[in-house]
Amino acid sequence: MTTTIIKKLDPRTKLVLTFFYAAWVVGAGGYGWLVSAFTLLAAFIGFTGRFKEYVRWLRLVLPMSIFFGAVIWWTANLSEAGFAALKLLTLTSVFFAFFTTTLPEDLANALVKAGLPYPVAFVLSTSLQFVPVMSRKVKNIMDAQRARGIPLEPGWAALRHYPAFLSPVLIQAFQLAEALAEAMESRGFGLTGRTFLKEFRMTPGDWMAMSAGLALLLVLFFFM
Amino acid sequence: MLADIDLVVDADEFLLVCGPSGSGKSTLCRTFNGLIPHFHNGELRGDIRVAGKSAKSQTVGDLFRHVGMVFQDPETQLFNGTVEQEIAFGLESLGLPRREIARRIYESAARVDIPDLLRRNPHELSGGEQQLVSIAAVLAHRPSLIVLDEPYANLDPFHVHQVRETLRTIHQSGIGVVICEHRLSYTLPDVHRIVVLDKGRIVSDAPPHDLVSLDMEHYGLELPLAVRVGKRLGLKPVPLDIHEIVALPSDMSALNDLKPQTPAPLPHGAPSALVVENLSFSIGGKPILRDINFTLAKGECLAIVGANGAGKTVLLKHLNGIFRPSQGRVAVMGKDTRETKTSQLARLIGIAFQNPNNQFFKLTVIEEIEVGAKALGCYDRSWIMELVALLHLEPLLDRAPFRLSGGEKKRVAFAAALAARPAILALDEPTAGQGWYFRRALGRLLTRLRDRGQSLILVTHDLAFAEAHAHRWLVLAEGEVIARGRPGEVMGNKQALERAHLEPTDAHRLWGGEAKKMNIEQRTSNIE
Repeated sequence: MTTTIIKKLDPRTKLVLTFFYAAWVVGAGGYGWLVSAFTLLAAFIGFTGRFKEYVRWLRLVLPMSIFFGAVIWWTANLSEAGFAALKLLTLTSVFFAFFTTTLPEDLANALVKAGLPYPVAFVLSTSLQFVPVMSRKVKNIMDAQRARGIPLEPGWAALRHYPAFLSPVLIQAFQLAEALAEAMESRGFGLTGRTFLKEFRMTPGDWMAMSAGLALLLVLFFFM
Repeated sequence: MLADIDLVVDADEFLLVCGPSGSGKSTLCRTFNGLIPHFHNGELRGDIRVAGKSAKSQTVGDLFRHVGMVFQDPETQLFNGTVEQEIAFGLESLGLPRREIARRIYESAARVDIPDLLRRNPHELSGGEQQLVSIAAVLAHRPSLIVLDEPYANLDPFHVHQVRETLRTIHQSGIGVVICEHRLSYTLPDVHRIVVLDKGRIVSDAPPHDLVSLDMEHYGLELPLAVRVGKRLGLKPVPLDIHEIVALPSDMSALNDLKPQTPAPLPHGAPSALVVENLSFSIGGKPILRDINFTLAKGECLAIVGANGAGKTVLLKHLNGIFRPSQGRVAVMGKDTRETKTSQLARLIGIAFQNPNNQFFKLTVIEEIEVGAKALGCYDRSWIMELVALLHLEPLLDRAPFRLSGGEKKRVAFAAALAARPAILALDEPTAGQGWYFRRALGRLLTRLRDRGQSLILVTHDLAFAEAHAHRWLVLAEGEVIARGRPGEVMGNKQALERAHLEPTDAHRLWGGEAKKMNIEQRTSNIE
């Protein structure tokens, strides 16, 4: 049931609710509040069926949060460090939850309706799409270099041989961009008067969800 | 880049523009929808008129609804999250109402036969499916002309067939088609008119049958086997496709020089350079390779053939340790890949992958060739100079690798793979997208390497090339080896070919089993 409600919400509503949740996390008054925010979020992600993906994503983000915490520990104390690390983790998880429940192009579509210029919204939605394409290219580049004896193993060690990595990657990125630009131009990108296949309209349900979210946020801030 | 081009294309033509690399085919294509002069910089003298109006005074935005453009690389011209949205994009640009857009999406998808792909992500489709999506996307604009720039370059034969069928259907429905290609065997039978470009000028503009009297080799183009046989036998009209040859003389010795020279089998008991035993490999629980067994003898050239997605490149990456087997073992010159680092295996087996742009990072060609050998501690200047001579790279040594032509880049990549003097050289789709000059030069290189005792592996779906240069074939389909043996034997195995989505070469159709049948029929009909 939760997922159908989520599907029915306009992407703009989802974005606003995401920011409300993020505001709560940022303003969290103590460990108690922060831990409940995190647990609630994890439960929500579980509800949407994306828990496995979340765990995989956590494996990448956790080292960053720990590193951040270590920096804070160095300048302050352990308790503050833990708090800061958990806050960062929860904050990024909020946006993870948002992006896994909203197609980037739906978001771009809705933002255009809200007044964002189309080319900007397009960049937002399309760049996310090419992340897997570029990472495949990067992998092929690393394989090709390793095949001739230049040790570009996946991981930080590759930085030592960075020209062998960076030059092909940058050039391929530019070539991709140029080919894409030609294709987009050849299908009328940039023409005014564009219509959209998918129509997003704010329903009473959206407004109710946003007001409820705002009310809840104010109540929480009052108590924290 | 182009000079004195006078060309009139009618709305219902099926036109082929061909010519050697650098002849200006791609440039000419881009004038048809206004990308030149509006998107690319440069000087345009003269005029282009599309659908009765001058392209100079209109923008690409005005022209794209009349002329649909499909580019060479299937992956980089798709930029939407679903196929449905991809087809919708141009219609949205045109400002059409939603109902009309939805209707045209289904119409287009049906015409190109991809209705089941609509909800899929374009980047998860095969190259051939991606090309069909691009065609559907431009078809939805209801153009009068579709222009395709080297549409078959990155496709395997199965998908080439699919796209060809689609283009024929589209043309029959009244839309003009312009293809830029140098693979004449895929295009000659379909088109009604051929324009040959050389150094930016039109050197010929004629129907296919008139073309066959032109010296195509001079322009770096290879006439299909059917045409060459037809010319030699004096057949009229000259057959454009091998299936058009229905009767052959009983004495075919006049055609012997047209026959591919498959290398003679190696003597038994030759030592092995590579041993693959019970190799199985899965990623995330999904099996990619299943129980693969084969050996490569020293001095042998083995071709691994199969359609895209059969697992050929994954298998190749097991040979130098980029992938390690889930089960089974791979031993390169005796060294087990599970126990040896990739950087050490690179001394024993050199692999040149399909895209040479994936490895260039030095400022000159000579540095590019040497860097791998130096990193491996195998640098031998006299060998490098021998390689340079073998690959005719002397004039290019001080040039920047990125600025070379496609064929030149491949030659540099091959030199780089051989720089450490590995016992085995493996090439991944070496002839993909390359014209006749390159294929001939590569063939000569392989022959010379074989004479020197180099062991070779060719991973390719270019069966004609594999037939002429490999001792043995290994057919891969869905991760399994389904056939192996001499090229003639493998191509005689109809079931295997079907399962692997491959077709016998024209040469095999002519000189293989079917030809002998034809001869017998000819003789018996003569008696009667």
